[in-house]
Amino acid sequence: MIRSAYSHQAAEVEIAAISAQPLDVVGLLAGAHHPRAGAVVLFSGEVRNHNDGMAVDYLEYEAHEAMAAKMIKTILEDANKKWPLNIAVAQHRTGKVAVGETAVVVITASAHRSEAYQANEYIIHRIKHEAPIWKCEYFSDGTKKWGGNCNC
Amino acid sequence: MKIQVFAVLKEYFDKEFELGDDIQDIASLQGHLARLNTEAQGILQLCRFAVHDEFVEENYKITKNDTICIFPPSSGG
Repeated sequence: MIRSAYSHQAAEVEIAAISAQPLDVVGLLAGAHHPRAGAVVLFSGEVRNHNDGMAVDYLEYEAHEAMAAKMIKTILEDANKKWPLNIAVAQHRTGKVAVGETAVVVITASAHRSEAYQANEYIIHRIKHEAPIWKCEYFSDGTKKWGGNCNC
Repeated sequence: MKIQVFAVLKEYFDKEFELGDDIQDIASLQGHLARLNTEAQGILQLCRFAVHDEFVEENYKITKNDTICIFPPSSGG
């Protein structure tokens, strides 16, 4: 297991930053409570059935797993330096991800909601733009397209 | 040296391949690959390069035992 969570004080959660298996969003949330945290923010990035006017069947994610895991760990650590977080966790899928399934989850917990919201957005923004992870969209018309210039 | 490419670059090059030892640095490698497949020239300009799991700059000196990973712009999430 790769330690990808960062703890501000005592709590540590061990999860793999990159997973080829479906993400256990509910389980991750269950492990993200902290006695000093009054706010827990969970972002689940999910596969939608359309993009740029085209019907999407599924996505496939590829990663340089070692570098992506290392980078996610660094991003979590950076977030913890910027905000007083009690929990910061992120996990990203690889492989085929169906419409409605979670491709990435980020959970942050802090004493008050403002820090948890801000840190969560900071983490997902950096993961999307910096981690060596790529999506390929498979469309219903049989075509496919690699992502590269994220507009989200 | 061994080259590994990811994502959309696999539509232009084999996922893994070897190159001769006459390429001195990352900038030269970028140019060499663009000449090998001119259709990849645009995307190569946007790529990041990594050696031994660390990002490197254009002036990084390549040695014959290096494995160079070439990353198109990220599109996770």
